[in-house]
Amino acid sequence: MFGHRKNQAESLPVTGRVCSLLEIPQGHKFKIVEIKGGPGLHRRLLALGFHRGDLVTLNGEALLGGPVLVKNLNSDTRIALGRGIARKVLVEPADENER
Amino acid sequence: MNDRVPVVVFIGQPNCGKSTLFNAIAGFKARTSNFPGTTVCHAHSEVAWKGRVYSIVDLPGTYSLTPQEPQEKVVLTHIFQEKPDLIVNVIDASLLCRSLELTVELLELEYPMVVVLNMMDLAEKKGMKIDPVALEKKLGVPVIRTVASRGQGTNDLMDWVEKVLGEQRRPRHLRYSGEVENRIKKLAEMLPADFPVIANPRFTAIRAIEAETLAVDRFFLENNPDFKRDLDRIRQEISALREAPAYEVLSAERHHLALKIFEDCCRVRHARLSGLEKLDSFIMHPVLGLFLLLLIFAGMFYLIFRVGSPLEAWLLKPWEALRLGVQERYGHTLLAELLVGLVQGVGGGVAIVFPYFIPLLLLMGFLEDVGYLARAGFLMDAFMHRLGLHGKSVPLFILGFGCNVPAIMATRILESRRDRIITALLIPFIPCAARTTIILALVAFLLGPWWALGFYFLNLVVVAVLSSVLTRIFKYSSPGLILEIPSLKWPSLKNILQKTYFNLKEFIRFAWPILIAGSLLLSLLSFVNFDRLVNAVLSPFVSGLLGLPSSLGVTLVFGFLRKELSLLMMFQALGVSYQQLLSVISRGQLLTFVTFVNFFIPCLSTLAILWKELGRRIALVSVLLNLSLAVLVSWLVRLAFAIF
Repeated sequence: MFGHRKNQAESLPVTGRVCSLLEIPQGHKFKIVEIKGGPGLHRRLLALGFHRGDLVTLNGEALLGGPVLVKNLNSDTRIALGRGIARKVLVEPADENER
Repeated sequence: MNDRVPVVVFIGQPNCGKSTLFNAIAGFKARTSNFPGTTVCHAHSEVAWKGRVYSIVDLPGTYSLTPQEPQEKVVLTHIFQEKPDLIVNVIDASLLCRSLELTVELLELEYPMVVVLNMMDLAEKKGMKIDPVALEKKLGVPVIRTVASRGQGTNDLMDWVEKVLGEQRRPRHLRYSGEVENRIKKLAEMLPADFPVIANPRFTAIRAIEAETLAVDRFFLENNPDFKRDLDRIRQEISALREAPAYEVLSAERHHLALKIFEDCCRVRHARLSGLEKLDSFIMHPVLGLFLLLLIFAGMFYLIFRVGSPLEAWLLKPWEALRLGVQERYGHTLLAELLVGLVQGVGGGVAIVFPYFIPLLLLMGFLEDVGYLARAGFLMDAFMHRLGLHGKSVPLFILGFGCNVPAIMATRILESRRDRIITALLIPFIPCAARTTIILALVAFLLGPWWALGFYFLNLVVVAVLSSVLTRIFKYSSPGLILEIPSLKWPSLKNILQKTYFNLKEFIRFAWPILIAGSLLLSLLSFVNFDRLVNAVLSPFVSGLLGLPSSLGVTLVFGFLRKELSLLMMFQALGVSYQQLLSVISRGQLLTFVTFVNFFIPCLSTLAILWKELGRRIALVSVLLNLSLAVLVSWLVRLAFAIF
């Protein structure tokens, strides 16, 4: 909810490269490219409705290396992910107008 | 239909309002909350509707039919073994898109089914316009709109349940994309004759393909090498189609079906930020949110001390008078002692339930219902990780400060048994309201507030150290937090009251009788002068190891019943009044005593709940852990006082 009011035209760190959920700024649209890690984690995230190709945005972060808050824009759900897990979710910048 | 009672199961994703709907139909049965995964064992109720009886089962929330967590396995076992006559798929309408993935999976069972769009009010607030007729057409099953928290739509639902059951209308599964569908079909045709078919061959084939990394059917495959080869080949083919594991391909198929249906049946206006969402960004704020959490903590303490304690004193007064009256009238007879025991047991229960239990349960009910607990877990996760636990344990510890009993009951929300056991073993070390009373009455009153604060701090340090040690013993590489954060909701008074009632009932039915029985037993023992024997037996330990007057031995035994009894009986045992206490024992002895009572075995009610929830072994471990820590820490306190 924090980067929510940011001007959408604000320039993105468009690098075109794939990075993990831990490395992206809050409030911008990203697309899930890959979920690394074992099948257990993978299935769990699939069941929670986080799939490859879904648009997500970083919604918040807890203090001191706490979890990050990820919003799935396709299904409008939010989950908190521990850092170890967030590191395994790879994303790439998406067009702000895409849905 | 024959005369057998039809079984109707409620299935839905966690936190979709399933239990609330179940309660609206079946009365106060299931425990509801705005925290994913509260219904762990399933609730079950017989409901009469228009002259017919239905057996309604509320299953734990599950995200999918691929079992991963204990409560999800309950769902599968139930569906596969009990073969329900009708599935009621409850959907949180505000999360329609994601919820439909489970719906697609359930349709594959091809059991008679009804879809319930619950929380329609929330969906509308989010700017969603759902077309139920279009949805009905896409899914091929009746769609009913409800707002369970206000009881809306429940009659409609029961009418449809009756209708669908009467017609035995079975839905058709939705088709995946052709290339995937063909492979599933192929496998379905290759199923050996003795394969345990669940629902239908197609569904069974899908399960088999998805079970790739799960151990569920390993046994069967070992005995069917031919089928195993076919299965592996199909998996490889499916996997090659999308360059992803086969289970992901199937999950993605459902995801896309769900997305497609969602887009065809729901229009989303761009919703403006509602008041609740603004509030939410404050609650989840990394700094302000923690500040709020602290405030809530402080508020709870305030409630315990300023409301609970005086109320308890006031409530205990008539029972105390009754006790004195009984003693005066009957003197030192067996009848008198037993009556006194009864009075103390019943009165003790009253003194837990009204001042502490009810206010705390209401408060916790409120926090749960609005969805705060998941948020507290999110904020505190980093701190808990240092102690080897998850943020999900935080709300339970908060609860423990009031009373350990409901806190241990609530450990059900933790999925991993390891986390559940560790949390349940730690909770008895959290100073509950009763122990806080002792700390306040003895330490703060006689030694000063800073001593009490220091004592509290020592207590928390012990909990933290113990947690690090326990999590190292029960080693397990924790996969980290994955916690859904439900949307913030306005609290529903009805939900909160129902939940309070539910927890209270469990305490009254279970812990209170044990409290009374224990109290009676101790009275009997004291009548036969058992206390002297206890003092004599405990003397080497009480006076030898801890350096306390040996007459305090029996008070420790009573402390097992209720912690404050130790305090009350201390004066009795030493034969002094409150103010004169320091004239008979030293400050060091006082602190040693308080430390021991504080850490000493969980009180009877806590132990009983531990036993019931986690089994005899864990209860025993808890007793040993508490006893040894109590001895160790209080001995250290004695040592510290001897040295300084």
